[in-house]
Order: sequence, then C-alpha cells, then structure tokens
Amino acid sequence: MIRRSSLLLLVLFSILLIVACQPSAPPTTPTPPRTALTFMAGYKPQANLPFVGAYVAKEKGYFEAEGLDVTIEHSPGQGQHLQLLAAGKVQVTTQDAAVLLQRRADPGLPLVSIALIGQRGQQAFAALKESGMVTPKDWEGHLVGYKGTPPPDLFALLHAAGADVNKVNLVNVGFDPRLLVEGKVDVYPLFKSNEPFLLRSWGYEITLWDAADYGVPTLGLTYVTSESLLREQPDVLARFLRAALRGIDYAAQHPEEAVQIVLKYTGPETNPDHMRYMLETELKDAQSETTREHGWGWQTQAQWQALADMLHQYNVLPSTDITNAFTTRILEMAKSSQ
Amino acid sequence: MDVHLKDLTFLYPNHDQPVLQGLTLDIPSGQFVAIIGQSGCGKSTLLRLLAGLLHPTQGQITFNGAVSNGRSRIHTVAWMAQSPALLPWLTAYQNVALALRFARNGTPPLMSPEEALSRVGLGDYIHEYPQHLSGGMQQRVALARLLVQGASIWLMDEPFSALDELTRENLSNTLLDLWQWLKPTILWVTHHIYEVVRLADRILVLSPRPAQIAADIGVELPRPRDENHPRFATYVTQLRKSLFHANGQESASNDWFNT
Amino acid sequence: MPTVKKARPMTGSTRSKLITWGLIVGALSAWEVGVRVGNVPPYLLPAPSLILRTLIQNLSTYLQASLITFGEALLGLLIGTCVGVLIAILVTFWPGLEHGVMSLAILVKSTPLVAIAPLLTIWLGFGWQPKVIITALVTFFPVLVNVLVGLQTITPSLLDLFHAWQANRWELLWHLRLPHSLPYVFAALKVSTPLALIGAIVAEWTGASGGLGRLMWLAYTNLNLPHLFAAIFILATAGMLLYQVTTQAEKRLVFWYTSS
Repeated sequence: MIRRSSLLLLVLFSILLIVACQPSAPPTTPTPPRTALTFMAGYKPQANLPFVGAYVAKEKGYFEAEGLDVTIEHSPGQGQHLQLLAAGKVQVTTQDAAVLLQRRADPGLPLVSIALIGQRGQQAFAALKESGMVTPKDWEGHLVGYKGTPPPDLFALLHAAGADVNKVNLVNVGFDPRLLVEGKVDVYPLFKSNEPFLLRSWGYEITLWDAADYGVPTLGLTYVTSESLLREQPDVLARFLRAALRGIDYAAQHPEEAVQIVLKYTGPETNPDHMRYMLETELKDAQSETTREHGWGWQTQAQWQALADMLHQYNVLPSTDITNAFTTRILEMAKSSQ
Repeated sequence: MDVHLKDLTFLYPNHDQPVLQGLTLDIPSGQFVAIIGQSGCGKSTLLRLLAGLLHPTQGQITFNGAVSNGRSRIHTVAWMAQSPALLPWLTAYQNVALALRFARNGTPPLMSPEEALSRVGLGDYIHEYPQHLSGGMQQRVALARLLVQGASIWLMDEPFSALDELTRENLSNTLLDLWQWLKPTILWVTHHIYEVVRLADRILVLSPRPAQIAADIGVELPRPRDENHPRFATYVTQLRKSLFHANGQESASNDWFNT
Repeated sequence: MPTVKKARPMTGSTRSKLITWGLIVGALSAWEVGVRVGNVPPYLLPAPSLILRTLIQNLSTYLQASLITFGEALLGLLIGTCVGVLIAILVTFWPGLEHGVMSLAILVKSTPLVAIAPLLTIWLGFGWQPKVIITALVTFFPVLVNVLVGLQTITPSLLDLFHAWQANRWELLWHLRLPHSLPYVFAALKVSTPLALIGAIVAEWTGASGGLGRLMWLAYTNLNLPHLFAAIFILATAGMLLYQVTTQAEKRLVFWYTSS
C-alpha cells in the first residue's frame, strides 16, 4: 500500500516534470538588435497571397535584411487576429477589405489597410455543371447558400443579372462544399482560390459566378495595421511591407518554390497542388491597372469608395467616410528606399 | 483513577428536556461499573460526556481530583464503541499504532501494538486489513487499540452488542483478563442483564430522561462468575425488577394480569 | 507419445476482454465493408484502412501532436484535481463558504468552453498556458463535488474516535478525511479524464500552434477526413488507455473500497 505522503510527493513531482517538459523559447544568440514584429495571418496556414508574401520574406531573409525579427502566427479563425491587433499584441495582420470596413464601423476597431493585395475579391458562387444553370437568373426557385450572413455581393449579383431576389431561397451553410455535391444546396458560396480545387479533385465540374464579372465591386485581402502603430512606427511598417511585397514578387516568379515554402507552415493534411492552385488564382486577382502602374498592393479612393457604396446600398455598412480606412503612405515609403 | 461526577446536567441545544439531570456519582479507581437502562435513557450520553465528546451544560467531572479539560483526558480516558471504527486503509497493526500518535506528551506506550494484538488473540493477524477480519476480530483490534493507550479509565459503549453469543463470551473473558491485569476503571454501557452480572462490580440503573440513578447495585459474587451460583439468579431478578421499576412499570408479568 | 494438455477454462476477465476486442474489430470491419460496398467517397467517410494508412504514413506528426495535447490535458487534469481537492478542503474547514463557493463553481462550470477559450487565448497567447487553464477549469468541478462528499460523509463512529483522541482539524484531515475521500477522487477522475482530453482539444481549436486539436481543425478545413479521423482514432485510444490506467490505479490505491 502506498503511503499518503509518497503519493503527495509523486503528484508534486509530476507537476514539475510536466512543466519542465513543455517547450520553452529557444535561447537567443547575440546578434545586432533587430526590431521584433509579430505578423498574424488572418486564417490557417495556406497559400493566400498576403500570407505567402510573409512566408517567402521570412524564408528568403527579406525581413532580416530590413532589420526585422518577424514572428509569424496564424489566427484560429474566429476573428482573434483583429482583437489581438487592436490590443497591440500583433502588429500586422490580414483581412478581407469588406470586413475591414465593417469592423471599423462596428465595433469601431481602429484598423487601417496599408496594402490592398487582392485587387479583386475571391468571393464567388458555384453550382454543379450538371445542374445546367448558366446565369444567376437561373437561381430563381433554387436553394442558394451563404456563409454567416447573406453577403451584399450576393444581392448585387442577383440584381446585376436581373434575377428576382424573392424567388431565390437562401440558406445558411457553413464551410462544407460537400453540401453542393450531395445536392443539399444548389448554389454554394465559395472562395475562388479554395473550394473549386477540392470539388474538381472529387471529380465534379462546376459553373462559377464571380461578382466582378457582373460589375459588382469586390476587393480582396489587405495587410492591416492599427491606427496607433501607423502613427507611431510607420518606418517599421514600411520595412515590413517592403519585404513582404518582395516576397509576393518572388512568389509570382517562382511559384513552385513558393508552394514548398508554404508547405513548411501547413501540415501533411495539405495538398501541394491545392496550394499551387490557390497561389496562382490569387496572383491573377492581385494584378490590375493600378498595380501595373504602382506595384503590388496599391489602393485608391475610388476602389474603396466603390466597395463602401455597394456595402452601404445593401445595408451592411452605414454611410461612413472611408478615407482613413486605408493609406498609401506606407506603400510609398516602401517604394522610396529601394 | 477514580471518577467523580457532581451535579452533572446535560441538555441538547434547542431541547427543553435535559437528558441527564443533577447526576452525582463517585467511582473509585479500578472499579468495573456497568450502566444499564432503557434505550434512549441517556447511558450513551453519560459516557460521551465522560469521553469529552459532549460538554456538560451544568456540573463537573473530576478525574483523581482534577477537573477534566480537553488536554488531560487523552492519557486518562480511552473510548470504545459498538462499531469497531477501524480505518479500512490501515492494517490491524497500523490501526492500533494510530492511537499512539495521539499520545501527546511523549509518555511511552504501555506496550507495543504487536503485544496488544497478541494479548487479544490476534497475534497471527497483525498485518491483515479490517475487511479480511470478522466482526469479532475487528472488535478485538479495537480492544487492542484501547489497550495500547495505557489509559486508566475505559469507556465502553455496548462494545460487544453487535456480536454473536459465542464471540461475545470470548471477548468478555479477554476483557476480564485484561482488567484484572491492568485494573483500569471501566464504565460499561449495555442492556444485556446476564452480561452485566457476569462482569461488573457495580451496576447503575438509569431512569429515562431526565436520567437519574434509579438503582446502584453492588455485585458481590466471587470471580470467576458462575451462572449456576445461587446468588447469580437473585442478582438477575433484582436487576430486572429495578429496570422495570425505573421505567415506571411493575414487572412485565404483573402487567399482563392486572386488567 | 504426445502429452495431452487439459483445456484451461476461460476466466471471466479473459472472456470479457475477448468480447471487447471482438466488438471493436467487428465494428471496424462493418465500417470498412460499408464504405467499400457503398462506394462512399473519402471526403464523406473514409474507410478504417485508409485512416490507419494515413496515421502510419504521418506517424511522427501525429506523435508530436499527441504529446503536446496529452501534456496539456494531463497537466490541466492534475491542476484541476488539486484545485478541486483544495477547495473541498477549504469548504470542509469553513462550512459557511460552501454556498458561495458552490455557486461560483457552478457558474464556471456552466459557461461554455467555446466562449471562455478564445478569451484566454487573447489574454495569454497561443502557448500551452490557456489550454492547461481551460482543462483545469473543466476538470475541477467533478472533483470538487465528489471530494466534498468524501470529506464530509464520514461515519459518526470514526469521528467519535478521533474526537475522543482530541484530534485537531488538521489531524482529522490528514488521517481521516483525506484517505476517506480517495475513492471519491477516483470516481471523479473517471469522469474528468475524458473531459480533460476534450478540454485540451477544444482549447486548441481556438488558438494553438500545435497539438491534436489543431491537427483536427486543419484537417477539417481542408476537408481531409482521413487525417481528421486518424486524430480521432488516437483520441479514442488515448481515452480508453487513460480509463484503464485510472481503474488500475484505483485498484491499487483504494483497495479497501469496492465500487460495484
């Protein structure tokens, strides 16, 4: 029979042992002091273009060359990245442009876009090719899914295609393209760079409707920082952006290598071809008249205003002044010292 | 050690009727006293007061002239109840040894746990756990535990009541042997009339609440007590009469015919 | 001449072990057959053979992740158990605290994990600390409730004994109450051990840099079900193993208490 005091000692010892075995921070080697910065990708590790920019910049030493010691984190996907940015625990993160505007309005997060990487958004809708639907007008009388709340671009799309919103049955779906293949929903909301790959790998052909094709303004992912950081450390942000944009540039030139770098952050559950597809799709949408003239990530008042107006028209954004939602200042600083 | 009770009164809080009222009693050292009475009359309460498990509402308890308080009782008084109250996670040896941990002022134990267990006939079962011992054997362990404390007053509340006839007789003999060797003052609560006459020097009959000493009978039979001794039966009858009288009844048989 | 061996009759425990394994193998076989015959695609329900293959091919990844998650779960369990016991002891010494303490405990217990976990991640970061805290929060309640009963429901005859020995409350605690409550601790552990695993997993879903829960989340968002199920297999096995360990430990340490 074990004595009680021995049991107590065993318990205490186990606590110490488990605590000791937890991974601790690696010892730092003495190097010239670099500015520390935490970049948090707005979702899990994957080949979204802003993420890729950071991954490549870190791997290729671009951050180091700018005197930055960047830690790359990933958001678990419930909006923590924005909270952490507002709380100052993270310096740069990513966010979809429309959501950025909405979060600025409510609950009033002090977010600023320092670069618009996705010149067009990735939101799109898909149906199985065998359904025979050709335009959004064919959605009438069918079940159309949306994620979260019915997105304004859905209504804008229907409107632009001349479809009657009231004849379309809307249903809230989560992330699950299997609903489409199992016939639980006729039209499914997806990201052009993501789900189509999965669906095709399962052997299904799809028909895709992109809001942009119907003249509906959408914008993609941005690099985001907080208003206070923008005020206080614009030079640090510029160094970050310079390196990250260089990373995007490199990825555009060497997509194969970029995918390999991405795979270091994902796990074995990720398909390299999927990542390649995602990268190439987003690279396409990262380029526009604006970027051809000013470089990756450039953003204009016109672009943001068009988005804001559309959001306002469909009642997801109050009438606001979006001048302070974005800035080209950091982009300019990033370009100038090259 | 002698025991002196003066005007002992006890009431449970929020109760009107006292359990004991004005009890005064002198017990000389080494006397084997049995306390008998109807169930609920307060015999156990009296014992619990002596053991320090309850505090008198009024009155005084003195051991060898000194008024008892919490500390002084430990070396003086040992308690044994109907249930053996052994800790099931300890062996017989460890259960007995536990009592020694509470001997606070460093007085050496009267004997080792092994010797105590041997004296109660459990020499071969020292390292057994209680669940492997019969009811009688468990009570023997409790007795050994009481022994080892070296107390001069033994308070025993119906310790053998839950055992069968044969075991009870064996244990009583063991108890008598121990008593005759160590000569503690024993206060023994029971409602077994034969047992009382067989064991005790003195029998106190308690009346129902508020308890008073209804009868105080000295037993002058030679030891070892023999049931066949002519005066044995006399004591039994006398005791029975006192019991019924104390409960406000004439003998049971009389009641039957007095219609 | 060959010696004839007498057939050994099967013992009860051997039989029950055989039945258990038989059931498990049977269920897995039915699953495998069902998937193959029904031509179920792997993104809906992968076959056990595919799951096992995935597990073996990525063994080191899964082992690493398991170590992290199990470490968090065990540490959280240890802390939760200790906290539960400590609070129970506190309430035993100061019974006036019982109502207040229990109300607070029930409040904590009723708050859904998925609400607390993200908050802790924001305050404490993505390391192991929030996971351990969440696991501790999840596991302390059954321990508290059970141990409180164990500490307080002592037979009066035992209390009398110690009272007669003039034992102070600390001696009473050490010699009587604590050993008496040990069976109750194990009863609570049987409940809280699987809870600890779940707690660590859910905590990882809301913010982790490593671990089995994070693997599961990544696999799901890639709709990579073989990977998801491989993690689930590991969890189920771990849960069973932990239960066995708890029962064995109980048999050794609480030998005097026969729980039916």
